[in-house]
Amino acid sequence: MSGPMNGSMKGAYAIEGTALTRPYGGFLAVNTVDIAVPHGEIRGLIGPNGAGKSTLIDVLSGRAAVWSGQVRMDGRDIGAMGVQERRRHGMARSFQKTNIFPELSVREQLDIAARQAEKPNVHEVMDELGLTGLGDARARDIAYGEQRRLDLALALIGRPRVLLLDEPAAGLSMRESLGLATLLRDLAQRWKVTVLIVEHDMEVVFSICDRITVLQLGRVLAEGTPDEIRRSPEVVTAYLGSAA
Amino acid sequence: MSRATMNLTGARVVAPRLSHVSWLLLAVALAAGFGLPGVVASVLVLTLLTQAVIGGMLAVGVGFLIRQNGVVSFGHAAWYGVSAYCFGLLLRHEVLPAELALVLALAVPTLTAFLLGLVIVRVPGVAFSMLTLAVGQAFHEFSMKAQGLTNGDDGFAIPLPDTLFGLPIAAVQQPETMFVLCWSLLALVIFGLYVTVRSPFGRLTEAIRENEERARFIGYRTVLPRAATYAISAFVAALAGLLFALYNGFVSPEVLHWSLSGSALIMAVIGGSRLLWGPALGAVIFFFLKDLAGNLTEHWPAMIGVTVIVVTVLMPAGIAGTLAELAGRLLRRTGGRA
Repeated sequence: MSGPMNGSMKGAYAIEGTALTRPYGGFLAVNTVDIAVPHGEIRGLIGPNGAGKSTLIDVLSGRAAVWSGQVRMDGRDIGAMGVQERRRHGMARSFQKTNIFPELSVREQLDIAARQAEKPNVHEVMDELGLTGLGDARARDIAYGEQRRLDLALALIGRPRVLLLDEPAAGLSMRESLGLATLLRDLAQRWKVTVLIVEHDMEVVFSICDRITVLQLGRVLAEGTPDEIRRSPEVVTAYLGSAA
Repeated sequence: MSRATMNLTGARVVAPRLSHVSWLLLAVALAAGFGLPGVVASVLVLTLLTQAVIGGMLAVGVGFLIRQNGVVSFGHAAWYGVSAYCFGLLLRHEVLPAELALVLALAVPTLTAFLLGLVIVRVPGVAFSMLTLAVGQAFHEFSMKAQGLTNGDDGFAIPLPDTLFGLPIAAVQQPETMFVLCWSLLALVIFGLYVTVRSPFGRLTEAIRENEERARFIGYRTVLPRAATYAISAFVAALAGLLFALYNGFVSPEVLHWSLSGSALIMAVIGGSRLLWGPALGAVIFFFLKDLAGNLTEHWPAMIGVTVIVVTVLMPAGIAGTLAELAGRLLRRTGGRA
């Protein structure tokens, strides 16, 4: 996607959150979080349950309104933008629970998504995600793993520049998860997509991420390369435990 | 000429091609309507059929809303009644020529529904249904209370002109000709809705019905298409109300009452709203059942109620949906043997 962001600030981050705060229930699920992902990077977002990972993705994508702080894309404040506008500016996301159009065929829903894209790439996306043979199948009738890929496909239509993924490997077998990881790494490099991925599957996270941000109780606990995170005593204590 | 157009959200879209079968079915439906008065000798049956077709059109509007927006209206009589009142009042007070009054009788409820839709389609499920009920009853109350304008509970006779668009008005008050007119319009309405649901706009509204959040996250503004769908369904109801006013030459608060909205919903449930013509079939069954049961007992609504229960439990897709499913199975079997 291109267009409104052509005049982006040189050197600015692809996606950046500054002092983000957002309550969830009775507590601050995201508490003055700073996060900045450079262009082309795959950033992992990990943390124990309730750490605020999904809430942070929701705030960045516009699903949840930001309580305080700023969300920037290419240096431009997008905090006041609706989700549709963010999409037009090149931001897309997938969801923790499969979020597709169950009664429509695979092809129909990708076509609908493509109508909003400046450069529709339905064939390309179907091909990349192995959905080519499922075009006429109703989404609710295809296998769970295929539905997850369809969810990702809906996000990839129009080649977004920033992709926010909320547990894309949830419910997938180990083989499917690793296949997805390889695909994401490959697509991110070829399409020059900046990815922020929330994932519980550590094998996926450590195999594809350039850097990892660890959240705990709504705050950033640590940030670094996969090796640095593995060696971080705080992270080992708080999250990874003896498995790391 | 290019078939490319702009949709409601500004995206470039291409209009769908309609198969020859679609056009053939429309031609057969129109021909059947013209032929039926020659076959049905009884004026009573023809009157009943005319009422059923008008009721069917209202039900088709309700069914379209269920099919495309996934919500139930308990107040579609509002658009039926506003249309009838609008036409009647404009003629009664000699404000405009009848032809223009007719156009306004369709435009006013459609536009009002669209503007109202921009607000109420944001409300989900039962709350939406309650809002439509409240709106319908508000119009009903207004028609009852505004004595000077509407003659209140008694209603008023519409002073119809001698001709309308050059055609003698007496023709629309005879069941033989009115049936043909109503039937033809119903066939055209269903055909128009068929084109709409197959268009990119129709696919989009189905997607929004399925998963509004996902539709927003792939870049669509969802309120406008949903409000437009509500307005289209209101237009269909308004057309039915206009035909009612022309046929009966009389309008009273009954045309705005919630019980009419309820009847239209029952017709849509009996026929099924998955298929566009389902509610129309439901209307024919409803009117004939009402007539039949009404001759047997004053408790005929109980028989309608039993029918609704039976259909809902045994045929969740409605009678039309079940018939279509059976026909599909039969065709597959026949095809399999061949």
